[in-house]
Amino acid sequence: MSSEKKNAITCQNVWQVFGPDPDQALKAALDQHETADEAAAALRASGHIPAVQDANFQVKEGELFVIMGLSGSGKSTLIRCISHLLHATHGKILIDDENIVSASEKRLIELRRNKLGMVFQHFGLFPHMTVVDNVAYPLRVQGMRKSERLAKAREVIELVGLKGREDYFPRELSGGQRQRVGIARSLVADCSVWFLDEPFSALDPLIRRQLQDEFLQIQEKLKTTIVFITHDINEALKLADRIAIMRDGKVVQIGTPSEIVLNPVDDYVREFSKDVAKGQHAKLHSMMQTGPGLVYGADDPGLRTDMTIDEALARCMSLYEPVPVHGEDGAVVGVVNPAELAAALQVEHS
Amino acid sequence: MIASMTTGTKAAALAVIVGALCLLLEGAAPWLSTYPATWVLPLTDWVGSVVGGFLAVVKPFARLFSDFMSYPMDWAKIGLNAAPWPLLLGIVLALGWRTGGWPMLLMAAIGMALVLVSGYWEQGMNTLALVAVSVPLALLIGAGIGILANEIPRLREPVQMVLDVMQTVPTFAYLTPLLVLFGFGPVVGLVASAIYAAPPMARNVLLGLQRIEPEIKEAAIMAGGTRRQQLFQVELPAAMTQIMVGVNQCLMAALSMVIIAAVIGGFNDIGWEVLLTMRKGWFGQSLMAGMVIVIFAILIDRMSGMLAQERKPQFDRRISWGLVVLGAVIGVATLGKLGNTADYAMLEPVTKQVDAGLTAFTTANAEWLTSFKNNALFYVLLPLRIGLDQAVLPFTWGFMWTPQMSLGLFGLAALLAVGLMASGRVLAGLVVLILFGILETGVSQLPWPFALVAAGGLAWSAGGRKLAILIVALLASILLAGLWERALLSLYLSGVSVFACALIGGLIGLLSAVFPMVWKVVRPICDMLQTIPLFVFLIPILMVFQIGEFSAFLAIIAYAIVPMIRYTRQGLVETPDEMIEGAIASGATKWQMLFHIRAPYAAPTILLGLNQTILYAFAMLVIAALIGTTGLGQSIYLALNQADVGLGLSAGAAMAILAFGADRIVQGFAEGRRRALGL
Ligand SMILES: Nc1ncnc2c1ncn2[C@@H]1O[C@H](COP(=O)(O)OP(=O)(O)O)[C@@H](O)[C@H]1O
Ligand SMILES: [Mg+2]
Repeated sequence: MSSEKKNAITCQNVWQVFGPDPDQALKAALDQHETADEAAAALRASGHIPAVQDANFQVKEGELFVIMGLSGSGKSTLIRCISHLLHATHGKILIDDENIVSASEKRLIELRRNKLGMVFQHFGLFPHMTVVDNVAYPLRVQGMRKSERLAKAREVIELVGLKGREDYFPRELSGGQRQRVGIARSLVADCSVWFLDEPFSALDPLIRRQLQDEFLQIQEKLKTTIVFITHDINEALKLADRIAIMRDGKVVQIGTPSEIVLNPVDDYVREFSKDVAKGQHAKLHSMMQTGPGLVYGADDPGLRTDMTIDEALARCMSLYEPVPVHGEDGAVVGVVNPAELAAALQVEHS
Repeated sequence: MIASMTTGTKAAALAVIVGALCLLLEGAAPWLSTYPATWVLPLTDWVGSVVGGFLAVVKPFARLFSDFMSYPMDWAKIGLNAAPWPLLLGIVLALGWRTGGWPMLLMAAIGMALVLVSGYWEQGMNTLALVAVSVPLALLIGAGIGILANEIPRLREPVQMVLDVMQTVPTFAYLTPLLVLFGFGPVVGLVASAIYAAPPMARNVLLGLQRIEPEIKEAAIMAGGTRRQQLFQVELPAAMTQIMVGVNQCLMAALSMVIIAAVIGGFNDIGWEVLLTMRKGWFGQSLMAGMVIVIFAILIDRMSGMLAQERKPQFDRRISWGLVVLGAVIGVATLGKLGNTADYAMLEPVTKQVDAGLTAFTTANAEWLTSFKNNALFYVLLPLRIGLDQAVLPFTWGFMWTPQMSLGLFGLAALLAVGLMASGRVLAGLVVLILFGILETGVSQLPWPFALVAAGGLAWSAGGRKLAILIVALLASILLAGLWERALLSLYLSGVSVFACALIGGLIGLLSAVFPMVWKVVRPICDMLQTIPLFVFLIPILMVFQIGEFSAFLAIIAYAIVPMIRYTRQGLVETPDEMIEGAIASGATKWQMLFHIRAPYAAPTILLGLNQTILYAFAMLVIAALIGTTGLGQSIYLALNQADVGLGLSAGAAMAILAFGADRIVQGFAEGRRRALGL
């Protein structure tokens, strides 16, 4: 993450509480308790559900931010707070420096028309509209002329590879095709912040992988800021720039895929990454020593910072001394010890 | 010991104690068994004067509305009557083609041809004219209420409750205040049918809107639609299937009510024709008029039902237009040459034959018909109504009931109860005592303290304290209003009918679940029975059994048995496959599976069917007043004839209270069963 990029989304102390009287209950709990954990416990005791507790994070412009957690951990609730489908019980949510928690209804409609797009787990397609009408709907509510909006919708339909299906009804499509429609609809109004709530979870593994690849291509082209939700660690690792892990409403760890895999903060996170082939996901730069006075041996197997541990290990398996790691420009930026690389992969199994 | 008893056992024990006390003290305190007339508050009069005063204020506006509505009504009536029948036939056939293709077209053709040759074309068109005006009104009101309740969450619960209550208010009860308000004339039928038909629409619109997948609603929000855009462009269209179910029910309710409202008379419509011919005993004719109603009901139901199908097949629009044009051309070409439709009554010989055949049949079978009727009356209905102590007479049973026999009966009950309690089934023992007590006294003569306690106890174990208090309070208001005896009579007749329905319907449902062949036969009959407007049930029964309680009993059963059959079958058939496979894997036989697995699983569904059956029975009870029943139904009907708003409304309310109470109690038990099964 280059630090000079702007924050597209900022969440500050965001709470979402469900139950008989969420506002009062949360206020009382926050007044009486020091930490968020205690406040959440008090809320639970009074019959409320703190579906999101004290979420704090930023998403940079153009970043692909993945929120992961078991079912019921509050992922959907959090993304709905950010897209303001739910009004956060407490906290500030800034989208491009504008606090949407306090935005007027009119402003919210404007934001949704121009800035925000969302894809749903079960697609949320309008059953009474054809594919092209579904996709064109966000333009229709803005009052765009029919011929114009249909033309634009057709472009996006082609982008998601559904050309030829424009006049089908959702019920006539397969799951994968339906989600393509959902994606097209969320893109048609040129959003700059894109929310996806488990978009591929309802699909077969094969179709899922295919759509993930296409999704990455689209993201490459559009460079929008993305909040992506999944419960599948492999999907998270494949797509994410950074991952936030949620448990019982709490964000327990935020980090790059390698950090999550190599330095899980607790057993919950570790449990997620247990079955992951770490060597394939952790990058070398998360393992290397940096700083002045680097000492390394004579052999240079040509390691680069963006190699996975598996790739690196394949090259330096037979070496015993520390080896240099090169940056993008070829200069030596760090050192790794092959023995430590091998050990890092072993940790979990012992 | 008391602490360890369940709510049901406690309630039953209390009811037994109160009932026993009432019986023991019968001599010393006669006010226990019959509620003294001096304790009656003039509630009925109060209702009459309050509502009457209110109606008097509203009346000018109502009359204005009445004048205003008379225009569209006249137009519809004149339009439908003036239009040459080939044109109307063309339009109906076109609708048939458009909604259902060839089969529907054929059905429409046969149906309309029958209407034509029945000679009742004009009366039929008058009825349709009323429906044509009342249905749009009901659709608008219903949709408006449904949407409003959806938009304003705080309104949802009260609206649901009002809709629930309206469903339990007997149809005739609407008519009296409307009659006072709008005066004698077809507007009463129109407004009554709009009021009666709006709730199903409101209910289905609300249900449809609530049932839309949340993600569809969210997608509409995220697309940046305003609330109005979301509602009209996404939510209402997405709920269209459910809304169409509402339209279908609305149409059927309107038709049914228009026909019931014919008892007011004065519109020369088909319902009136049925009533008139029935009163005169011209059964052939009344059957013919009834047939016209049934044809309308079936055509309207099936055509609008097609609209509510998930995936409607598409039929070529051009053929429909062709049919309309053809009808118009023939209509114009033959203008003035078609003559009066009343002269088309080609079925007159058939009516005569029916009448003759009927007379022949009843005379030939008089013996067993009478003995069938009398047996049912003397050995089942009468004892339940007035108890064994009064129903057993030398004239019927061949001997006189003596106090010793009462003692013997109670001794037997006590023996059974003790046996059951000794084997640990305390509740069953208590219930046996209660049932024997009721058998001895008769439902219509139950001591009121016992009835209140028993109803309260039932409500308590079904739905908790709040329901118990509500139901006892409501029943007490019937007592205070002096409608108690009539209410018990209604309760008795509906109770017996529901019991018969549960028994026979449950058995048919069971057979239908086990043998698909049976269901193939039963299903169309059920469909048919559910489509026919209430009124028509009376005709064939009256033909054979004449006016009286037994005919009412049969009519109620014929109408109310359908949900019992349907739900029993559905509940038994719908057991999840894994449970069945589990049972098969454990080596259960077909019948073991039925009783050990399917039946317990189906219990909540069957209870819901029973609940529907109860509501149906109450609805029919009032209609059955036309052919001679006592009780609240009769009072409502009398009030209508005398334009007595107080009596009409109070008796209607009492009837609604009985239906409401039964509904809530059964629902409560069903809910409890569902929870126990983790559904
Ligand atoms: N509208 C609601 N009312 C009450 N509780 C809710 C509501 N929505 C979600 N919850 C609860 O909040 C928690 C988080 O749910 P959700 O955000 O859907 O989880 P996830 O998307 O991670 O599976 C769950 O315990 C859920 O039951
Ligand atoms: Mg979710």
